[in-house]
Amino acid sequence: MVLALRRVGRPSLSPCQGRRTLTQPLLSAQGVSRRYGRIVALAPTSLEVQPGDALALIGPNGAGKSTLLSIFAGALDPSDGSVTAAPVDHRGPKVGWVPQRPAHYQRLSPRENLELFARLEGVPGANELADRFIGLLDLPDDGRLTAELSAGNQQRLNLAVALLAPPDVLLLDEPTASLDPRQRRLLWEVAAQVRERGGAVVFATQNFEELERFATRVAVLVGGELVFEGTLGEFKAAPEADVFA
Amino acid sequence: MRKVRLLLGKDLRILGRSPVLVAALVVYPLVFAALVGAVVRYASDRPTIAFVDLDHLPETLTVGGQSFNVPAVLDQVNESAELVPMEEEEADRKLANGEVDAEIVVPRGFASRLRGMVESPQLIVKTARGGVATRVEQQTQALVYELNQRLQDAYIKANLEYVHLIVEGGTGTFLGNEFDVVGLQRAGEMLAEIERTTKDPAVADRAHELSNFVRQASLALGASDESLRATANPIELEVDTGAGRSWLLSAQLQAYALALTLAFICVLLAAAAIAAERDENVIGRLARGLVGLTDLVVVKVALAVLVAVALGLVIALVFGIFSAVFDVTGGEPWARLPLLAVGLVAAGAAFGAFGVLIGVVAREARTAVLVAFLVALPLVLLGLLPAGTVEAARLISKAFPFSHAVDFFQSALYDNDPWGTLAREAAWLVGLAVAFGAAARLGMRRLLA
Repeated sequence: MVLALRRVGRPSLSPCQGRRTLTQPLLSAQGVSRRYGRIVALAPTSLEVQPGDALALIGPNGAGKSTLLSIFAGALDPSDGSVTAAPVDHRGPKVGWVPQRPAHYQRLSPRENLELFARLEGVPGANELADRFIGLLDLPDDGRLTAELSAGNQQRLNLAVALLAPPDVLLLDEPTASLDPRQRRLLWEVAAQVRERGGAVVFATQNFEELERFATRVAVLVGGELVFEGTLGEFKAAPEADVFA
Repeated sequence: MRKVRLLLGKDLRILGRSPVLVAALVVYPLVFAALVGAVVRYASDRPTIAFVDLDHLPETLTVGGQSFNVPAVLDQVNESAELVPMEEEEADRKLANGEVDAEIVVPRGFASRLRGMVESPQLIVKTARGGVATRVEQQTQALVYELNQRLQDAYIKANLEYVHLIVEGGTGTFLGNEFDVVGLQRAGEMLAEIERTTKDPAVADRAHELSNFVRQASLALGASDESLRATANPIELEVDTGAGRSWLLSAQLQAYALALTLAFICVLLAAAAIAAERDENVIGRLARGLVGLTDLVVVKVALAVLVAVALGLVIALVFGIFSAVFDVTGGEPWARLPLLAVGLVAAGAAFGAFGVLIGVVAREARTAVLVAFLVALPLVLLGLLPAGTVEAARLISKAFPFSHAVDFFQSALYDNDPWGTLAREAAWLVGLAVAFGAAARLGMRRLLA
């Protein structure tokens, strides 16, 4: 499958390979929190995303995983605290964001969505990029509107939009929920390539099998609080009572 | 600017993919405009007036020898006001609860006073306070003026008969009493006879003097016909109802049609468009540095402006074609299109910014559309109230673009010297666009939460 990906060509997925000279974290959240009135969606949290990381965010529904990912993505302002980013090639790291609910225009076709977001990202060759991702992620290109596509197709388009500007950090919010096994495999291959090229992947999941297979680090959120952060080995070694206390 | 263009293109493409919605958005305000225009015209032209006949007027009323068909007279009055005959008690109740705009009472003895032609009979008019009372008073004055005009001929004819009786002599009646009058002509002949036959030179001199007076009086009274008519009507009004535009092509209706279309379409469209960015979960992706929040407000206002200009010009085109086909004069539908386009831009921006503000507050597209409609409707109706009816309504409507848009369009299309009005209303529209746009920008972060 990796060979197949290389065959269709994805130069856009390898922008940061061998270029990073600094060892500081790609993203660093310092005391970020988010409140909605009296409701605390995320208590003050500090967390770093290191190059090569596959950081899994786990926790029950409403634990604050999506909120933390949205803050990392820059889509949501924290109520307190801040997120800093290490420079990559004298610029901030590019962050690809795949929210849990697809974020694209339902009344545009997948191709139109890809071309629009590529142009907004300022990536040259929007038409060619759309061709590549339609082929790469096996997206329908028959003129149908995105609203008419299956949940799986919409989720792949969601991923494609996040990959248009080659990301240094890929943020995935429960990305495999609507994908079939083949599509899941493809997703993790793409994520692996981001890491291999010096980037990082942060993913929220409820799936422990995925966590064990793909995560290198684990952060556990419960009720908006970060209750555990460590390597996969530390997580597996920790008594469940300690992690979810 | 490139990103604004890209998102604007996206919005137009999405809009174009909903032809039924576009058709509804165009047709609905036009139908609404026509209905409102009709109501406005009808309300201003034909107030409903209760007609209370305490004197039980006969079907035929003879005044000064001239007969009036009372139902026919009332039918004529119905062209300018809807007269509804009813009992006094019912009329009082309906006036009190606003079912009728006014009440005209024909008091007892009205017909006999009219026939007597000595003292003026009185009609009693009752109106409510405020609202359209002033307009109803004007309508009633017009009604009485019309009746007086019809009665004048009878009065003048009766008076002239007395004059003729004085000049020519004969038998006349006054207040039911019959009497013989010698008449000036017969008196002149008698004086000439005395002057000729008398032996007394003093009597002859006096008879000659009186004879001169009678001759002069006869000449003067002989011209009384024209002078009486001139006194009754120092200025005559000649009405040519075919000279103006049909109300369907009137400046008022065209301006209302344009402003109403823009008020609803631009406000609803901008509100829905900005809220839809959140509904589609795209706002977060855009706000991550792809597009600034200010740019997003600008995109939606620009969308409203483009739609406003397109629809406004189509409406103006339709009016212009109808004006040309029916050979209507009095406007410059083609020469004024550039001025109109300026107004469409300013009004579209003001309505659009207002819509974006509503969309930002409502956050969700369906809610935004509903709220936009609920907010726009009363504000539009405030702008439709005639000047001078409710001062507070006029002041409130000043803070909404509708009345400014109406004034701009009316002036742009039909005023001979529109520049003062255009400058003032354009400044209002631009100011409102900036104010609403700034308020919307302040609230944009709500969409990210």
